Amino acid sequence: MTWAPLVSMSNLGVVISLAVIGGGLLWLLYRSLLAKEVDRRVIFLFILVSVAAPLLFPMTFEEQATPVVKAIFDKIESLPEGSRVLISFDFDPAMAPEVQPMANVVTQHCMVKGHKVIFMCLFATGQALLTQSLELIVSEQFPDKVDGIDYVNIGYKAGNEGVLNVIVSDFKKMFPTDVNSVPYDSIGVFKGIRSCKDLDMVFTIGGGKPGVKEWVLFVGDPGRVPVAGGVAAVVAPQMYPYYPKQLFGIMGGIKGAAEYESELRKTYPQFHDVDAPGLRMMGPQTLAHMVIMAFIVLGNVSFIVQKRRDRRRKR
Amino acid sequence: MKRSSVIILSVVVLLFLASWLWKASTLSSDPGIVNAWGQAFGITLAAFLTLAILSFLYRDNPFYKFAEHLFVGVSAAFWMVMGFWSTIVGNLVPRLSEGLSSFFKVPFDRFAVNYFYFIPVILGILLLLRLSRDAGWIARWPLAFIVGTTAGLNFIRYLRSDFIEQVSSTFVPLLVGWQGFGHFLDNLDLSATGQLALTVGNWVISLGVFCGLVYFFFSKAHTGVFGAASRVGIWVLMITFGASFGYTVMGRISLLVGRITFLFKDWLGLIS
Amino acid sequence: MKYLLSAVIVLGLLAGAVWAQESDQPSTAAADTAVSADTVSVAPPAPVGNLRAYDSDNDHGHAVTLEWELSPDDGGGDNSVLMYEVFRWYPYFWDTVQEVRAELVTARQRRVQGTLDVEGDPDDYVKELVSRHTELLSTLPEAHEQYPDDGEFRLVRAVPAGTEKFEDRGPKDRLAEDFLPDYCDFYYRVDAVTIDESVRTPSQIVGPVQSYGQWFNTGRIVVLCFVLVFGLLTILFVQRARSGAELYVRPIAGIEAVDDAIGRATEMGRPILYVLGLGTAADVATIASFTILSRVAKQVAEYQTQLIVPTYDPIVMSVAQEVVKSAYLDAGRPDDYSQDIVYFVTQSQFAYVAAVNGVMLRERPATNVYMGMFHAESLLLAETGAIAGSIQISGTDQMAQLPFFIVACDYTLIGEELYAASAYLGREPVLLGSLKAQDVAKAAVVLFALIGVIVTTAGSSVFQNLFKVTD
Repeated sequence: MTWAPLVSMSNLGVVISLAVIGGGLLWLLYRSLLAKEVDRRVIFLFILVSVAAPLLFPMTFEEQATPVVKAIFDKIESLPEGSRVLISFDFDPAMAPEVQPMANVVTQHCMVKGHKVIFMCLFATGQALLTQSLELIVSEQFPDKVDGIDYVNIGYKAGNEGVLNVIVSDFKKMFPTDVNSVPYDSIGVFKGIRSCKDLDMVFTIGGGKPGVKEWVLFVGDPGRVPVAGGVAAVVAPQMYPYYPKQLFGIMGGIKGAAEYESELRKTYPQFHDVDAPGLRMMGPQTLAHMVIMAFIVLGNVSFIVQKRRDRRRKR
Repeated sequence: MKRSSVIILSVVVLLFLASWLWKASTLSSDPGIVNAWGQAFGITLAAFLTLAILSFLYRDNPFYKFAEHLFVGVSAAFWMVMGFWSTIVGNLVPRLSEGLSSFFKVPFDRFAVNYFYFIPVILGILLLLRLSRDAGWIARWPLAFIVGTTAGLNFIRYLRSDFIEQVSSTFVPLLVGWQGFGHFLDNLDLSATGQLALTVGNWVISLGVFCGLVYFFFSKAHTGVFGAASRVGIWVLMITFGASFGYTVMGRISLLVGRITFLFKDWLGLIS
Repeated sequence: MKYLLSAVIVLGLLAGAVWAQESDQPSTAAADTAVSADTVSVAPPAPVGNLRAYDSDNDHGHAVTLEWELSPDDGGGDNSVLMYEVFRWYPYFWDTVQEVRAELVTARQRRVQGTLDVEGDPDDYVKELVSRHTELLSTLPEAHEQYPDDGEFRLVRAVPAGTEKFEDRGPKDRLAEDFLPDYCDFYYRVDAVTIDESVRTPSQIVGPVQSYGQWFNTGRIVVLCFVLVFGLLTILFVQRARSGAELYVRPIAGIEAVDDAIGRATEMGRPILYVLGLGTAADVATIASFTILSRVAKQVAEYQTQLIVPTYDPIVMSVAQEVVKSAYLDAGRPDDYSQDIVYFVTQSQFAYVAAVNGVMLRERPATNVYMGMFHAESLLLAETGAIAGSIQISGTDQMAQLPFFIVACDYTLIGEELYAASAYLGREPVLLGSLKAQDVAKAAVVLFALIGVIVTTAGSSVFQNLFKVTD
């Protein structure tokens, strides 16, 4: 994120919001210097305003893709047209605000590159989100893509890691048909694919179990398949030990999605007018983080002031 | 019920109805929307439940309790239904019984029938005996089977991916692309992929792994050099936890942004 | 005239012989005559060299690996090689097998859909096809032995120029179209092909080579070594612990703090709250927590302080009741034990948290101990405890929750420290033995990492290759 270009700072509303938040923080600083307590509900109110204001008065920032995210972009970009990419929607609606933008942007990239995409999910509730993404991205933005030839939705299969254990050596055994009951052998996308080992890349999105780690353990390492992960921010630190050998790229939280969207827009200008939820959400995210950092500083100021007072009282 | 409670409840119900009506009228004007009333009810209900949960931030109240209990009940029922249809009907029935397959309307391939699948059926029933006071001890056997099989299946994978691969990933060069000190200074570059950053990164990884492992070494007291390494280790751990905390905060704020976006966009239509 | 006729007959025979030979060539040979005037004429490239074929290693069979040296005209010389085409000799009998296979697959699909229309019982029809297919497959090795008669070379795959290795792999599924049978004599040929597909040079033919599965995957030897070494170490140390040997475990700060905290609670006359977490009785963290609960309960019994243990899981409640009862008995105060000390709350995550928070705010315990498996409720519990003014000691193996406990609690047992604390307090041989074995493994990892870093810095990848696991 670069500071200089606040790419769009729309209007007076933004200025007023920042003024209100800034004024509130100054008031908090005053109370901290007096070592007075602040009701936690005031803190909640600050967070609400810092999140709501940038949504009502849009604030977006330029994003620069970090190496861990760029690695995924470069990989998809470098694969020849017609490569087989598997995208697994391993998340539920609770995680969707964070990770669905990742799924959507990678789908967009694969579609524009002409890759053959296999969509699946290991979470029962991920199926509806997968369908949502297909409608929003593939049907709307790429109406020329044909189900079965350019992409295929094989849906959800119960079994968690058991599913991965099978598809690493035999796809058809676990998914004999797609969601429309079209037999495996009749699906053009699967031509020449017997197992995950025949895939050019796997991109798995999630944050729970089964998730990215299970894909690495059951598919990536045994099958020597290139695996990249898009994870909820909570789980992201646990994925870094796998980078870059076992996971060639990681998208962590909404920031990862925003970086990828930014990179996609730079390379393919046609996406400039397409909604980018990651970039959109980084405005409130950034402001909320700044407010939280201010709270940490103010809290420590209050703590130091209180300690000094206690020391003076003891003397 | 207190009078104030009745008034608050009435106000909430009226607001709900008003919101539903207003949303339905908004959606009806969109030709692409099918079943505007149903969709409006869903959006309004979701919005009110969101606000009910968020009201806990002010203080505990009946609306929050209602929303929480509703969520717990619905999710328990959903997962039970999902588990039945995806696991029992999806994975088990087509492998065992043609009659049940036609009853549940799932395709049955008699040549894929495998009577070994009766074993998990029996083990599953034994597991349910946990609910019985007298026969509850029997449930330990299928539990032991599950624990043992899972451990066996995962043992090799975890050892390979989480131990051996991780150990070999630690073998990083402490001097990256070294061609002499002069060359290093001439090409000094602060970018993330520059020689300096990669070298420093490798030193951090190596020292972090050494000292972190020393911290978790329990066979020697942490004194002297060992103790110093252990202190470096705990610092590395704390920095990691700090990063993890920061990521978690980011994740929680993202979820809040997602919810507020729903309220402003889908419900109130304040943003497009 | 007769000489002319003889000459025509001989020429005709020669032409027929040439034609018969060319029928073994791929159908693209016919394209020779169809080459358009626009096609760039290229000279035939040099063939690939030293073609070798062998059974693929470390697999379940159905795979043959081919290796060759690049054609001199690939990336050098005329640089005319565009791709390599891999050919395998198929007996004509294979077509019969494929016909029966296709019929069987279709029949099975239709049987499942209920649309199989045959005379007699459809199941019997399918069974008959299955046995016919099985029988035909069993005679495939004999058919392959007829080489070079009764068969022809057919294209398997085209690979781009620059490729020196190719694996001809088929699935295990005998009904797959590209099934590769084991224990059949295969013969291969690799053609170097130019931009004009009719201009190509075949390699020498290699074979016979058979594919078969291996019982032992040599690519995983390093995993086996680690399993054996670690397993032996664990057994050794457990035996040592059982024989009574003194196995040193360093003191853990959080556990020492528990003793102080219990004393503080006694002085203040306030209870101690012990939370076992949201795990089940089968989770390692919960099991470790039982040992610590036993220690806490014993001291609490000795000091006659009040203990409160709300539980999330009914099985955990039963086990915890037994643990606390035994602890009171060991402390010589069985009469002070009450069944209300350990009680079940609910199995709903946030309802449990709400209940425990209520206990904290009402009872105002002097000490809160959180040991076990926690999820998103960890910060809720710890924060409420901080508001109530309690000393808080926590321990969990959940990486995602550790930051919250560290921030909000006075002492935290991080990850493995929880298990070590359990071994330290309980002194059970199995726990102690496995802890020591893990310590030896850690020491080994430090040593390997040190050697690996030095060797890699020196520019060698020898040591790294020792840890390579291949499949």
